[in-house]
Amino acid sequence: MKQQLTNIWKDWRLHTIVLAIVLLTEWIGTHSFTIGPGVVLLLPMLYATIIGLSLFFTPLIKEKQSKNAEPLIILGVLLLIAKIGVIIGPALPEIIEAGPALLLQEFGNLGTILIALPVAVLLGLKRESIGMTHSVAREPNVGLIMDKYGFNSPEGRGVMAIYIFGTVFGAVFMGLISGFLATWTPLDPLSFAMASGIGSGSMMAAASGSLVAAFPAMENQILAFAGASNLLSLSTGLYMSIFIGLPLTEKLYSFMTRSKEAQKTKEEKGA
Amino acid sequence: MMLKNIQEWIVLLAILGAVGLIGNWIGYDTVVWDALPGMLVLIGICLAGLWVGKIMPGEIPSVAYVALIGILVSMPWLPGSSFFVETTSEVNLLALTTPILAYAGIAIGRSWTDFVKLGWRSIVVAMCVMVGTFLGSAVIAEIVLRFQGII
Repeated sequence: MKQQLTNIWKDWRLHTIVLAIVLLTEWIGTHSFTIGPGVVLLLPMLYATIIGLSLFFTPLIKEKQSKNAEPLIILGVLLLIAKIGVIIGPALPEIIEAGPALLLQEFGNLGTILIALPVAVLLGLKRESIGMTHSVAREPNVGLIMDKYGFNSPEGRGVMAIYIFGTVFGAVFMGLISGFLATWTPLDPLSFAMASGIGSGSMMAAASGSLVAAFPAMENQILAFAGASNLLSLSTGLYMSIFIGLPLTEKLYSFMTRSKEAQKTKEEKGA
Repeated sequence: MMLKNIQEWIVLLAILGAVGLIGNWIGYDTVVWDALPGMLVLIGICLAGLWVGKIMPGEIPSVAYVALIGILVSMPWLPGSSFFVETTSEVNLLALTTPILAYAGIAIGRSWTDFVKLGWRSIVVAMCVMVGTFLGSAVIAEIVLRFQGII
């Protein structure tokens, strides 16, 4: 990683292509259209992801560029986090006032278990569903599942599937559903702003970005609440999973699959 | 070794900053010159956070320190915080996300075939996972914020 890093800045092909993508996508700008009562927002970052991905399959981008892009994502997210930091700072008095809501909505992250686990079991997924639905499957959670069940376990495969999906489509998906749900449900934009912080910088940016585009007057409040909630999710998410999320998923899973299958796996583990 | 790292960080952050400033100009109508001080402040916060993350004991990731430093320098209780707030307000958040996702798109290409193999069921479950956490948190936030009379 450190040795790789020394040559990345010289990869002018990569940086020039990214600059061209940025110029093109920012020039296209933000567009939106309505589906029923919800607004779907098309942001430059969405086009940028799609163009970047499609360029991978052209001779313009080689394996080397694709590898070199990874550290730049990490540093780019750092820059984004710094920007979010200076947004949270001035809003700190407001955030402290909203403290109880921020803390309690962290428990809302358990909503993933209640909604996604039954669907996974219905689709016929076995213990993969535990890895898939115990959390939003960001890096700390992947680490937790690998540690507990191992990489080559059904749970490990499950968490990786969701992690990869989240990495690829998470930002796009969160950006689309947040704008849609915020305009379609009676819930307040600030509630969704808090919900945007699920422990992933890019998903939070996409979700809160859509909220800002839908409610521009509330921009600073939305970004501050989303950023603070994301920080809280980042810091509490892992412990939430260890002590509540994962045990709850295990219990619900064996409850939902009170079949012989679940018993068998238990016996095998016990033996 | 560490100095070498810091130099690399500076160069790569400068590249990201330059691309971000140009995007900020095209997409959000802020002239590069006006947003430059803000971008420099943000890069400074990143470097400070990376450095603190390196010298501090424990397994706390640098991201946590970058955010913390950003919050600390812009707190209203800190004298001079308005400098950090005003300069960085010229840099649009979305202008920073566009280059990140351009790089991300390029990086994702490599694992694309692995992902396609995973099948449609994991896509359905992944969507439920994200909707679940998003709606769950929003409902709880709504109840508590209303109870507190904030909304």
